[in-house]
Amino acid sequence: MVPPPSRGNNFPATPDRDDIDKTWTYLQAGIDRIMDNLHEGMDMQTYMGIYTAIHNFCTSQKAVGFNPQQNMHTGAHRGAHLLGEEIYKKLIEYLTAHLDQLVQESNSHQDEALLAFYIKQWNRYTTAAKYIHHLFRYLNRHWVKREMDEGKKHIYDVYTLHLVQWRSVLFDKVSEKVMAAVLKLVEKQRQGETIEHSQIKQVVDSFVSLGLDDQDSTKTTLDVYRYHFERPFLEATKQFYTAESKQFVAENSVVEYMKKAETRLDEEEERVKMYLHTDIAMPLKKACNQVLIAEHSGLLRDEFQVLLDNDREEDMARMYSLLSRIPDGLDPLRSKFEAHVRKAGLAAVTKVSADVEKLEPKVYVDALLEIHTQYQGLVKRAFNDEAEFTRSLDNACREFVNRNDVCKSGSNKSPELLAKYTDVLLRKSGTGIEEAELENTLSQIMTVFKYIEDKDVFQKFYSRMLARRLVHSNSSSDDAETSMISKLKEACGFEYTNKLQRMFQDMQISKDLNEGFKEHARALDTKVLDSQYSILGTGFWPLTAPNTTFNPPIEISADCERFSRFYKNKHEGRKLTWLWQLCKGEVKATYCKNTKTPYTFQVSLYQMAILLLFNEKDHQTYDDIASTTQLNSEALDPSLSILCKAKVLLMKPDGKVGPGANFVLNYEFKSKKLRVNLNVGMKSETKQEEQETNKTIEEDRKLLLQSAIVRIMKARKRMKHQQLLSETINQIRQRFVPKVSDIKKCIEILLDKEYLERLDDDDLGYLA
Amino acid sequence: MSDAKLQKILLQSNDGVTIDVGKSPPLDIGFWRTPPSLYRAVAERSVLIRNMLEDLGDEGIGNQAIPIPNVNEAVLKKVIEWCDHHRNDPVQPADEEADTRKKTTDIEEWDQKFMQVDQEMLFEVILAANYLDIKPLLDVGCKTVANMIKGKSPEEIRKTFNITNDFTPEEEEHIRRENEWAEDR
Repeated sequence: MVPPPSRGNNFPATPDRDDIDKTWTYLQAGIDRIMDNLHEGMDMQTYMGIYTAIHNFCTSQKAVGFNPQQNMHTGAHRGAHLLGEEIYKKLIEYLTAHLDQLVQESNSHQDEALLAFYIKQWNRYTTAAKYIHHLFRYLNRHWVKREMDEGKKHIYDVYTLHLVQWRSVLFDKVSEKVMAAVLKLVEKQRQGETIEHSQIKQVVDSFVSLGLDDQDSTKTTLDVYRYHFERPFLEATKQFYTAESKQFVAENSVVEYMKKAETRLDEEEERVKMYLHTDIAMPLKKACNQVLIAEHSGLLRDEFQVLLDNDREEDMARMYSLLSRIPDGLDPLRSKFEAHVRKAGLAAVTKVSADVEKLEPKVYVDALLEIHTQYQGLVKRAFNDEAEFTRSLDNACREFVNRNDVCKSGSNKSPELLAKYTDVLLRKSGTGIEEAELENTLSQIMTVFKYIEDKDVFQKFYSRMLARRLVHSNSSSDDAETSMISKLKEACGFEYTNKLQRMFQDMQISKDLNEGFKEHARALDTKVLDSQYSILGTGFWPLTAPNTTFNPPIEISADCERFSRFYKNKHEGRKLTWLWQLCKGEVKATYCKNTKTPYTFQVSLYQMAILLLFNEKDHQTYDDIASTTQLNSEALDPSLSILCKAKVLLMKPDGKVGPGANFVLNYEFKSKKLRVNLNVGMKSETKQEEQETNKTIEEDRKLLLQSAIVRIMKARKRMKHQQLLSETINQIRQRFVPKVSDIKKCIEILLDKEYLERLDDDDLGYLA
Repeated sequence: MSDAKLQKILLQSNDGVTIDVGKSPPLDIGFWRTPPSLYRAVAERSVLIRNMLEDLGDEGIGNQAIPIPNVNEAVLKKVIEWCDHHRNDPVQPADEEADTRKKTTDIEEWDQKFMQVDQEMLFEVILAANYLDIKPLLDVGCKTVANMIKGKSPEEIRKTFNITNDFTPEEEEHIRRENEWAEDR
């Protein structure tokens, strides 16, 4: 074997491995070079030399005495004693001296120069530390590792040792001054100057690096950073903004201040992204929120009313977003908002309700809706569509819908007017709204409906008016009717709309029945009138039997009887009651002299009965008419007076319709239209109906209360009086707001009827 | 290993031989004229060399041979042979794995063959691995030695490693009593 020629001697001279002083002198020369002149580069010889010197020292003979021949193999591996402590200690001495020197130098710098100095030294020092860490790897692997494994504190790997020394020798002495320089720089930036913020970033990184976990030096903590950077930074931020905002508020409007605060908050967020540690994001935000918002929250809130009054939506949105950042910031806004909406709603109602008697349902409902729409929009656009604000809006709406000027005259006014407006919309005669728009309007009705407390009142009026629409078949569309019913069902449940739906079904069944009847008549080949019958279930329709006797004219009674037979044949055991007051028909007047085509009169059945009498003779006395038709004066008088008013009949003598009056058929009757509608209800009639409806409401409520009480007691068997009260209120609240005195009355009634019994201790018991 | 690491590396042993080693075939000790080039991946099995390459950078090294003051040519070649074979092993396992590895004296086949050398070479390789900071090789070497000791009496061990017994009989008795618990029964 012949070794190839070497390429010149590459080998570093290494010191005597047994001599710590010589070894250290050698090492120090290398470390000096790394610390101070690394930028000039480093050669392999030095690198390998330092590494080898440390290796050789640590594996030197001073270990355990062994057979000399084996020594070189056993220096490190017996493990009883590892060398290296002396080098480690020398390194600490070296670093301490080195850093002391830096502290001296730092004294001649200030502010930005100091900052630059710190960063420059830090970068140089940590770069060197990485080199030295590598070069001392043999020490790390053996002596340091063993010391740490044995749980010795304050022994670190060489890189960490550098950081520890930096912290204990230099950092404690200069960090405050460095931080002061950082804060000065940040303040400059806050005042609008451009700064070199990468410097701050580097300081942050340096501070973070110095956070070593005392328990486990391989881990880092943010403790050092938090104490030396975050804490003073937050403090300075607070001071700066406290002063700034105080001055700004004194010189500018609140609205201007909100803009300023918003900008400042955004800036601080940006600042974190730009050069701060993310750990500061939360506390910085909190600090800014405190001094920029919370400290001025009273001022902001005072301004809120002004903004509301002037519809400053954008500014309100700004205020919302600011106050939403601080805890409980929005509560006062919500209550102000609620009060404002309530006031606005009440004012809107007052404006339209100068004359409650003549108040158009549409005008009233529109007034309510306008306020709701306006403020719902505000909640959406300015208050982030927040649930809490929506609740305030709802509270306010409930107040002004149920307790306003209009309701003073009668607490049932709101549901009544709402139901009437619905009737206007759903009636055929209506203003001819498009289907889509109708649906839209119905949805708006439901918006108001939601706020109505006395939903039973609405139900009453609604069912009455629905009955009228169905009986007179002047509903605008079946689709719209069903849509409305299903909306109500969705809002209040099946029970609420049950009867309404049954009414609808009755009309459908009647249609089929009429066809069957016609078929039947055709089969028997009997001549019948062109008639339509509606069979209405007594329990579902808000209708009562006529309050007068009536003897139907012969022309009609034959047909009616035929139908009755037909129906009873089909459904045995059912009782039919004729609701004469709801019947109507048409008669042709062939006697008039002024026209070739005969007039057609649309009349009620009572009117028809009266007119048909004139087929016999042209003169009739009041008493004759009364005795033939059997109508009482309550039904007869209005029917006659309409006929007279329309000049179909002429009355002698002129005056009030009543006993003793004479009636003559007017052959000279004239009208622009060929079809004349004489079947018009009198004003007093509808008025009366309203009163009746209101009366039935009170009675129905008693029944509702009683059934609720019985239901509860049946489930509970035994209950305290007070508990029963509150439970009943809970159950019934969806329909109306019950009065405690009413509930108590109902309990008394049930006690009398022996549904309930009194037990000791203010308890009530259920009697099955 | 990335292409960037396929750079040629020269090492110089302490007896002045420059070795330009690399991928297989492993070194043929007899054939100097065709020295395989040493790929960076092979060299970087040594943490020492890896750190140095990282610290000094390419410009710091240039075409120079890296001086390895503590290892002679024969041993260095032996070490390079191992590194070459293991050049694609995953980088140093985490500490936990190292622990489990320590507990077993199993040695993979190639390494067993590789370690079939005379005792002096074996110890030289172990020292070189320790110096060059090649943990897996150090482990293999120590395991090999451990296997040589396993199941042997003190006298046999002395014989194996050519150790002179420098204990007095009293001392020996004392030690034996102290370690009674560890003896096979």
